[in-house]
Amino acid sequence: MNAIELNHICKSFGSFAIQDLNLTVPSGTICGLVGENGAGKSTTIRLLMGALRPDSGTASVLGTDASSPEFVRIREDVGVVLDEAHFPETLNALQVGKIMADTYRQWEPAVYEGCLKRFDLPERKPFKDFSRGMTMKLAIAAALSHRPKLLVLDEATSGLDPIVRDEVLEIFNEFTREEDHSILISSHIVSDLEKLCDYIAFLHQGRLLFCEEKDRLLEDYGVFVGTAEQAESLLPEAVAGREARDYGGVRALVRRSMVPESLALERPTVEEIILFIVKGAEKR
Amino acid sequence: MKALIRKDFYVLWKQMRIFILLVLVFFFFQGSFGSVFIVIWCAMLPYTALAYDERCKWDQLAAMMPYSNRDMVLSKYVLGWLCAGAASVLSLAAQAVLKNGDFRVILLSFCASVCVLAITLPLMLRFGVERGRMGMFLMIFLVCGGAGILAEAAAPDSAAALRLLPAAAVLGPVAAAVLTAVSIPVSLRLYAARR
Repeated sequence: MNAIELNHICKSFGSFAIQDLNLTVPSGTICGLVGENGAGKSTTIRLLMGALRPDSGTASVLGTDASSPEFVRIREDVGVVLDEAHFPETLNALQVGKIMADTYRQWEPAVYEGCLKRFDLPERKPFKDFSRGMTMKLAIAAALSHRPKLLVLDEATSGLDPIVRDEVLEIFNEFTREEDHSILISSHIVSDLEKLCDYIAFLHQGRLLFCEEKDRLLEDYGVFVGTAEQAESLLPEAVAGREARDYGGVRALVRRSMVPESLALERPTVEEIILFIVKGAEKR
Repeated sequence: MKALIRKDFYVLWKQMRIFILLVLVFFFFQGSFGSVFIVIWCAMLPYTALAYDERCKWDQLAAMMPYSNRDMVLSKYVLGWLCAGAASVLSLAAQAVLKNGDFRVILLSFCASVCVLAITLPLMLRFGVERGRMGMFLMIFLVCGGAGILAEAAAPDSAAALRLLPAAAVLGPVAAAVLTAVSIPVSLRLYAARR
């Protein structure tokens, strides 16, 4: 079963539109949704969670259509962490726990208390006095304590310092040790997603430019570094993007299958692949 | 819905402590003015809760949690009724202790607060507290002003007002029930449109 399926989703807001979005996240995997600010990552998440109605197309989560009346119940199995906690800031961690206990039928107070202890979060301090890292940890604790099968994380790691980010990524990794647990995580910090994800989906100006297995992406592409003349000798369709360097040099992202095997290529990072593809898309 | 009401109570708890203090002060006013004021003021508490929700963008998270639109809308009505109901009970208790006022005045003020809630909440849910506030004040002004003019015409002195009280005590709950029955479906539609 797929944890998430978006089929031909379109949603227009006048100057911005999500266009013909198709995205599938198989159950048991982690999918990273990458894109610049305003690319449509949060809108995509709102569409798949049924918080926004698409103009056309269908969204389903854990096998249930997001526009169906039963979907409210399916949200019990989805842990959501947005870019902020979004709880009224006068609440404290204990009160958040009680509200969540009334919200989720599968709420596990022991798991929540364990998370608060593990994250070293004070129980009675209003979370308006929390640091950003503590606030996000509280939101993560709440999302993990009702036995979710799917975690939907929208910029949950942005604004966190590298140590806390690493800690949080480890928690997400632990979550997916259960084979039916899945994660959709949106971020513009590509290095985080590279560490964590099985799949990378890349949104650019409301369009999904690709959704690929991370390892396959890294195997399929290589970075060519050479002179402009050497670059010109490559097949145009082999070059996904290129940039000029000093002294007439060129750096290009190429499809390995379309260039001679003898050509020396560097292994790209996901971030490089995305940057090259964006530049290539903009030139086209 | 219980979770949403619990959240609002936690958020309003500080305000409620001030409210309880005000109740104690107003109980010592002569006549029923203090009680009426408190009951109607309590019906405004859902707007404070809505303002807190807007400030932290609670709706964005709540839309992804297992709350239906119906839960989100009804919880604000129930919160208003509970607050106005609690204030009414306290006012009745104070009347009994101080032996002043008429219980029907409290009943009418409770009905008035339910009417005000029924008229103004749809605006708040559609436009938000900031933009809905002007509409709310306009509605309160029209309802209270209209009621005042009608009362003045029907009962120019207190003796006449007392004579009208039994009829008002019947008409008040009917008006509150009818307005609420219309208001909830309207609020549900407007809230869905906002999302």
